[in-house]
Amino acid sequence: MDPLVLTQAINVVYGVSTLAAVTLGLAVIFGLLGVLNIAHGEFVMIGAYAAFVAQWAGWPFLAAVPVTLLVCGLLGYVVERILIRPLYRRPFDTLVATWGLSLLLREAAKAIFGRGYHSLTIPVPGTLHFLGTEYPTYRLILIAISLTVVTGLVVWYSRSRTGTWIRAMIGNPELAQAQGISVRKLASATFVTGTCLAGLAGIMVAPLVPIEPYMGLDYVLRAFFVLVVGGLGSVLGLFSGAAVIGGVNSVISAVANATYGYFTMLVLAILVMWLRPRGIVAQR
Amino acid sequence: MSAPRLAFDDVTGGYGSTMIVRGASGAVSPGEVLCVLGRNGVGKTTLLKLLFGFLPCRTGAIRFDNCPLGALAPEMRRRIGMTYCPQERPVFDDLSVHDNLTLTRADRRLESFRPYFARFPVLESRLRQHAGTLSGGEKKVLSFVRGLAEDQPLVLLDEPSEGVQWENILEMEAAIKEKTAQGAAFIVVEQNLAFAERIADAYLVMDQGRAVLAGVRATMDRARLLAHLHV
Amino acid sequence: MTKRSQGFTRRRFLGSGAALGAGAGIGIGSFPMRLAVAAQPFKIGLFIALSGPASLFGPTQRACAELAAEEINQKGGILGRPIKLYPTDAGGAPAETTKSAVRLMLEDDVDLFIGSHDSATREALVATIKGKVPYIYTPVYEGGECAFNVYVIADTPPQQIHPSVAWMMKDHGAKSFYFIGDDYVWPRKSNEYARQVIAENGGKVVNEEYVPFGAPNKFEEVVTRIKAVKPDAVLITLVGADNVNFNRTFAGFGLDKDIARLSLLLEENTLHGIGADSSRNLYSCMSYFANAPGKANQEFKAAYFKKYGAKAPQLSIIGVDCYDGVSCAKALVEKAGGTNARRCMAASQGLVFESASGPWKMYNQHVDKTMYLALCKGTEFDIIKTFPDIKHGQTCRA
Repeated sequence: MDPLVLTQAINVVYGVSTLAAVTLGLAVIFGLLGVLNIAHGEFVMIGAYAAFVAQWAGWPFLAAVPVTLLVCGLLGYVVERILIRPLYRRPFDTLVATWGLSLLLREAAKAIFGRGYHSLTIPVPGTLHFLGTEYPTYRLILIAISLTVVTGLVVWYSRSRTGTWIRAMIGNPELAQAQGISVRKLASATFVTGTCLAGLAGIMVAPLVPIEPYMGLDYVLRAFFVLVVGGLGSVLGLFSGAAVIGGVNSVISAVANATYGYFTMLVLAILVMWLRPRGIVAQR
Repeated sequence: MSAPRLAFDDVTGGYGSTMIVRGASGAVSPGEVLCVLGRNGVGKTTLLKLLFGFLPCRTGAIRFDNCPLGALAPEMRRRIGMTYCPQERPVFDDLSVHDNLTLTRADRRLESFRPYFARFPVLESRLRQHAGTLSGGEKKVLSFVRGLAEDQPLVLLDEPSEGVQWENILEMEAAIKEKTAQGAAFIVVEQNLAFAERIADAYLVMDQGRAVLAGVRATMDRARLLAHLHV
Repeated sequence: MTKRSQGFTRRRFLGSGAALGAGAGIGIGSFPMRLAVAAQPFKIGLFIALSGPASLFGPTQRACAELAAEEINQKGGILGRPIKLYPTDAGGAPAETTKSAVRLMLEDDVDLFIGSHDSATREALVATIKGKVPYIYTPVYEGGECAFNVYVIADTPPQQIHPSVAWMMKDHGAKSFYFIGDDYVWPRKSNEYARQVIAENGGKVVNEEYVPFGAPNKFEEVVTRIKAVKPDAVLITLVGADNVNFNRTFAGFGLDKDIARLSLLLEENTLHGIGADSSRNLYSCMSYFANAPGKANQEFKAAYFKKYGAKAPQLSIIGVDCYDGVSCAKALVEKAGGTNARRCMAASQGLVFESASGPWKMYNQHVDKTMYLALCKGTEFDIIKTFPDIKHGQTCRA
């Protein structure tokens, strides 16, 4: 195969898989709890800053993982407790509340790290000879990790006992409670899982992008498009949404240019909202 | 008379500021079935929700094995020995029949359900199906089996016979009798008087949120009972 | 709005009249110096990015403007009036900024505007101010602003592109160029100019490509295309986070070894974001770098760090331009003897003022400058070439 076409093909896979990874946390919280967490991008930002702190302190790159889990987990727990819990089943109120939270987190990042850009040394530099073309090693690793994490979570959700409990909680919270499942604890755990996943995605992308207080805005926007297109709350929807949004953007950007790629993505999102408001993979 | 498994005294409560149940009292002892009767909308379901802690009691006290329940959460009431089978949305539609039965069982095995499958073979044939695809009566059967198989000292059933075929209702009666023989207590909300008369040891008749008539089946005046059930 | 502003103006007029009276009263006594202090301040509306993505530059813009104002005020202000700055947000939509401009003119009676912001906002402001108040525009821009009573001290394409691209072609042997930019007026006009320069020098442009401005862009596809056509150099007119993203992706794909990059808005903050591992073979050409040589910059930096200390905001061309803007304002107004528009326009022709980079001379509403070509060394700029006295190339008639 022509190396250019092949590289562009890998770009598409890269675009789709990383987009799925970045959206995962938002999808978990929105799909399972019905809360649209506008501060999702800021949790991604926290992960990225954790990676920055780890490098600044001279720790290995992966030291960012426990730091992120601690910060995002703790923050997610507190936020769910004091901000989200009183507002379940009030979608607009949670929207406003998490929007406020995103402002707060952004300002906090400004206060702690300053307004400027930070950058990370890529932990695995260089390119790899892959299927007859050169591709950045770190991006190949990211593709592998993203696909593993997303599929792993999907399998866990559909097979594990906790996954079944979560599905039970979503489907019929009162009955779940009647059967001894603590809906509150499970919702809290779900929210924390979502924020932690966002943070972990932030670590993954940190070496590739400028780390700055406003970086979260990019991610929440694209993740939101994925949910709009894919449909809310279904795992298949997450994959198809990421495939459509990431794929269309990458493919059109590859064959035409980025403006058309972005334009097509917006048109597609609008069309889906208009024609299939419940997403291309409508729920049963 | 043995000490009651569950006793509730002057219970008042409802949704928000609307009080649906106003001063209901009653008790059920081990091995006994208490049937809660009454017309539609008199607060029978609300009473069960109050007893199981889904709604807070405005006044009154509920004691389980002589222990006040206070504001204990539903999942904790389940843990201390209560089971609840709701009238509406009785099963998890998104889960398979198998998952519905074994949701809170660590081993996920169906062994303990074998006797129930003998009574209700329809369940065994639908194990892999989503519970949402069952008929209303089949869902009730599933919910009933799930509840009884929990083997708890107290079972709250909200209209278990609704939409269920008569032969399955008879199997339900047999299953309840089997459990009461082992010492379990039941509070059953029913509209179906024929079924209630087959299982009840005692009645509690509600009207407009109040317990207006109570007594053991043997001494209950059937005419007065009927007067409260028909408009 | 009008009513309120009138009321406000009258109240304020009464207030200042009383203050003047009081000042005069004391002046008659034994403190004649008070008169100078009580003089009406010279009010400058300062449009800088206090919000939005460009707010990265806000602190430096403000700090530099305040330093200039302080220095001028210590020497008696402008025409004896102390400068008072009105820092105003220009980081949002142009329409918001024009509202602020109207308020500053009607309620605060500002004497002059200085703006360090994008071209869309400049065009909106020019249309709003309509030459009633002198307006000095300061950052890097695409050229062509000749509106009445508007004075531009920004770097123009002939200043940025002509020397640097010609150097890259002659001294660096670059023949083929790839253009990548954000999709708005500055990149498009700059590329238009760069095409001419490249054609004049016998080179060619292999592709010209834009990404949507303000969208969450990613650059894997662009970089793959660049890799396929293998140009000698890439001319980058991306700004901010896009500039960082592109350059990090470019280096990540290993293209930095063989292909040179010239970025037209690459200053200290952006380079810090690009990082040491992605800045090989990357050039920038501007009139100011924090480590630019020359006595004027040494003195400016000494004063800046004396005032703000070690935690001072990062110096970069976007920010220092505000210092130059205030300095230009003083020279212009004093030469014109006030802020009369016609007199200011006349005074601007041949106006000389002190910038942080040394004396600049204005004609045709623009200034000629010394330009620097820098090669990135890690996260520092290494100035490898100085081009003195580069003409702005604008043909406005004063």
